[in-house]
Amino acid sequence: MKIVCLIKFVPDVEEFKYDYQRHVLIRENLKQILNPDDACAVACALMIKRSNPETVIEVVTMAPVSVSGHLEDLLRLNIDQAILISDIRFSGSDTFATTRVLARYLKQTTFDVILTGTHSLDGSTAQVPSQLAEVLGLPQMSNVVALDTSSFLKGKPSFDVEHDTSIMTFSVDLPAILSVSRDSAYKLPYVAYQDLNRDVSSRIRVLSHQELDLQPQETGLEGSRTEVRRSFVKNMIKKDKVILNNDREGIEAVYCYLHEHGFVP
Amino acid sequence: MNRCLILMDGNRPETDLELLEVTRRIHGESQIYTMGLELEPKDEKPSGAFDAIVNFECGSVPPYDAAGIAMGAAALHEMYGFDTILVPATFFGRMVAPRLAMRLGVGLVADVTGIEHVGMQLEMIRPAYGGKLMAGIVKKGPGPLMMSIRENAFPATSGTIKQTRRIVFPFDHQPSRMTFIGAREKPQATDIRDSEILISGGGGILENFSRLDDLKEVLHAQVSASRRLVDSGVASRKIQVGQSGKTVSPRLYIALGIDGSVQHMEGLRHVEHLIAVNTNREAPICSLADVVVVGDAVEFIDRLVKRIQLQELSGG
Repeated sequence: MKIVCLIKFVPDVEEFKYDYQRHVLIRENLKQILNPDDACAVACALMIKRSNPETVIEVVTMAPVSVSGHLEDLLRLNIDQAILISDIRFSGSDTFATTRVLARYLKQTTFDVILTGTHSLDGSTAQVPSQLAEVLGLPQMSNVVALDTSSFLKGKPSFDVEHDTSIMTFSVDLPAILSVSRDSAYKLPYVAYQDLNRDVSSRIRVLSHQELDLQPQETGLEGSRTEVRRSFVKNMIKKDKVILNNDREGIEAVYCYLHEHGFVP
Repeated sequence: MNRCLILMDGNRPETDLELLEVTRRIHGESQIYTMGLELEPKDEKPSGAFDAIVNFECGSVPPYDAAGIAMGAAALHEMYGFDTILVPATFFGRMVAPRLAMRLGVGLVADVTGIEHVGMQLEMIRPAYGGKLMAGIVKKGPGPLMMSIRENAFPATSGTIKQTRRIVFPFDHQPSRMTFIGAREKPQATDIRDSEILISGGGGILENFSRLDDLKEVLHAQVSASRRLVDSGVASRKIQVGQSGKTVSPRLYIALGIDGSVQHMEGLRHVEHLIAVNTNREAPICSLADVVVVGDAVEFIDRLVKRIQLQELSGG
């Protein structure tokens, strides 16, 4: 059994500071963290490996080589190998180009399941897992909150999915892509003390456009189908405030305000 | 003539109207042909919002069969050559749209909350970094414009009533490799950071905190609280807003009896619409509010709940 964990490192959004004078978010020098949903996916894979020690776990990420330290920390957690897809040409890729790059690698390798996160802290489009599923011809499901290990090891896992007010249960024929949610109970363990300085660097394989045989026009901004033209902070400077009394007229005005902005029918 | 395909939301007809509104924002009223793709054929007469409603010949396609839906929609595109394809950014829609975009080889912008025309270009606006930043995104390359649309972001204005044609499209989908086994109700424990609407209570409603649930029900919202209520044991820390609690970014925040300490306001920087109800119109939170209601929070809840229910009864 081989599990591929598709993961991403993202800026720690909670640390964003707001510059009130320049009216911008300060995004520089932010610490990179493992995307929380992806961390749950890795933790889920480790749970399976505990029941079935022959399971091989490979983490795959597309990132600058500066994330190597983070990958090494994961490798110290009973993860077998890491694939770091890294190339300056890949920067600026939208989800379309990113999918193309990841698919190029995943088509060359074998696996029984891809576990990944549903949302990322940065873009949070939740697009890449579904797009990959389409390119690889696999079933895919988002918001997985629990995975049944015994049915998984038989090749047809049943799993729970959180959707609005209900929990739905599905089963799927492997191979498949399952996107785990941070609302699951899966938590990454800490690295054991004796492993803190273990040298695991030889278990990271770095792949660039050459190994993946990707042309310049297939990746980065050029290979993208969308482009971020600008980013801006929602204007927080207030505001034509309305002051109302708590009477019939006031409530009517509140109701109209809610209706106007689509909160009530 | 601009041809638009909309993936209809079988559960929430308002969503269809919101997506139709988006087609008008993109193309203008006069030159649009709108087609709704209905996954579960309905017997009732169409409301006249679409020019045509399409059903697949094979009958119902389950909403979780994203691969099947994307395949059918791509076949439909091959036949009709759409200029724009819109999908609701619902749980299932979010899995269909990326597959369809890949099939058509086009870019996709997710969770769009705004449309702007900048020169000759169309900019799709979406939140990024958990709503802390907004991004304006343009499409590159040929093929239809594709996006998923955030619910409640485009309040529908009334469109023209049309003679909706029903079309049965010959499409036979393969059984999905995904099997639905069952569903059960979820205990309410959603993260307040993910909420679109938050009803939040503070010291002014300490004794009546449970009454927030009345408003929560009618607005399909979540309840949150200020530190004061958490410290007094009335509310759980999981739902605390503020510097020592959580930073929230709902579209609507109704602050009931919250004065607004600095640390609480720090948690509210990304709120889009803020309504403050307070007996003191000079309370700090009122400086952040779009609407201030001066008075008692419990009375406010009673009156607003009644007003919303009245509208629901009259079928609005």
